[in-house]
Amino acid sequence: MFWLNNKQKKWWDFVLAMTEKEIKSRYKMAVFGFLWIFLNPLLQMLVLGLIFQFFVPIKTINYFEFLFPGLLIWNFFSYTITKNTPMYINERALIQKAKFPRESIVLSIVFSNLFHLLISFLMFMLWTLLVREGVDLTRWLVLPIAVGWLTVLTSGLSLLFSSLNVKWRDINFGVQAIMPLWFYATPVVYTLDLLPKWIERIIYLNPMTAILGLFRWSIFGMAISWEPIVISLVMTLIIFVTGVVVFKKESPFFDDWI
Amino acid sequence: MKNKTKNIAIKMENVVKNYRLFHEKATLIENILGKSKKEKFAALKGISLEIRKGEKVGIIGSNGSGKTTLLKIIAGITTLNSGKLLTEGKIVSLIDLSAGFHPELTGEENIYINALLAGMDRSEMKSKIKEIIKYADIGKFIDAPLYTYSSGMKLRLGFAIAVAANPDIIILDEEVSAGDEDFQRKSMKKIDEFVREGKTLLVVSHWMDFLKKHCERIIWLDKGKMVADGGMRILNRYQSGGKNSG
Repeated sequence: MFWLNNKQKKWWDFVLAMTEKEIKSRYKMAVFGFLWIFLNPLLQMLVLGLIFQFFVPIKTINYFEFLFPGLLIWNFFSYTITKNTPMYINERALIQKAKFPRESIVLSIVFSNLFHLLISFLMFMLWTLLVREGVDLTRWLVLPIAVGWLTVLTSGLSLLFSSLNVKWRDINFGVQAIMPLWFYATPVVYTLDLLPKWIERIIYLNPMTAILGLFRWSIFGMAISWEPIVISLVMTLIIFVTGVVVFKKESPFFDDWI
Repeated sequence: MKNKTKNIAIKMENVVKNYRLFHEKATLIENILGKSKKEKFAALKGISLEIRKGEKVGIIGSNGSGKTTLLKIIAGITTLNSGKLLTEGKIVSLIDLSAGFHPELTGEENIYINALLAGMDRSEMKSKIKEIIKYADIGKFIDAPLYTYSSGMKLRLGFAIAVAANPDIIILDEEVSAGDEDFQRKSMKKIDEFVREGKTLLVVSHWMDFLKKHCERIIWLDKGKMVADGGMRILNRYQSGGKNSG
């Protein structure tokens, strides 16, 4: 990364080393560490698919196939945020000991989970290429944008909740309570065309709606309405900026509260 | 004049640090309902000091006098509420050496992350890793996960990483004189080496002999204020004062 100055390079080195540590320690705990990452959404797909296929009529593709990428993306989002929220409390030994960029703790969780998401996603894409016919590869060019958007959103929320949780420990309980509700407020198991038109504007306040829409548009060629995506985009920006501002304000004093 | 400012390692001007006092864990609900008490505790009440490069300073004071807070502010672990702080050079703390270790990772993998924590960059760490492993001298355990280590081995590894970072300002307590005799000799030798190289030492300890051996200047804190700052004779005053009030 030659275009970075020394300080930025050091920062990236540090964040990447923390990410590497996170990935390595995960594999140490379970022999088939990676298998679990793939197995979990697979089992979810089977159970949810078994039930919801009778409620959600999707004509163009198999319901199980429709479900899988959505679950991968949702799992990344919810695992990362649930894990990150109490992270500064869990890593208090590190914070009390040394001066280092505090955001690296949260970002290392985002990036290590992103690494796992990308591997499972690649496997899914390979499978799509083999099994499906008439895949529009040009639409896959949108995928990196969708992944980037997902990363920005997840990082923003992670920074926000983890910083607030240092001060107020009930934030963690709040996040744990919200995540299952958020799952149903996101079109993971259903599609938007099942909903009445007036809900559409509201549901795009949830940026995950647009992100999932983008993924499905590029993988399955499912229809997407482009205008309300702007709502999701604005919401993402608001969330990210709030997260960064709160983090910047609170992080110099993390040590005082843990 | 210019030369004089160049020789400053640490400069503090009227540094104040407050903590919020909690009797229970704080929650957002209580905060919204206005039930949380906003009790403040002043850990440092306006500390001003100047430490020149190469000075060996001992910080003394009873529990709760603000020693730890002072060191945390100097090390950049926490931030002061008002006042000014200026530090020059790389600061490494030898206190609680094994705090940053991950129990599931091997010794070598832990070196990677802790070397960066100690302020090295990646290339520096890679060039020094052999030296660190050799200096830690824990044999085959370097490939074993940290939870299999004895506390003495963790101490050795932590010390080896910290000193390899080649700090300009070193913060330490009597923990470096824990461990077996071999490690004690080794760590003392290294600290003497640092002193000869003109590095700045900040020592916090309740162990008078340790301070007498390593310091030439004593700063005495009590309840967040500086009681005395000067030569080693303060130690005698502190000891007799402690006896009188105790």
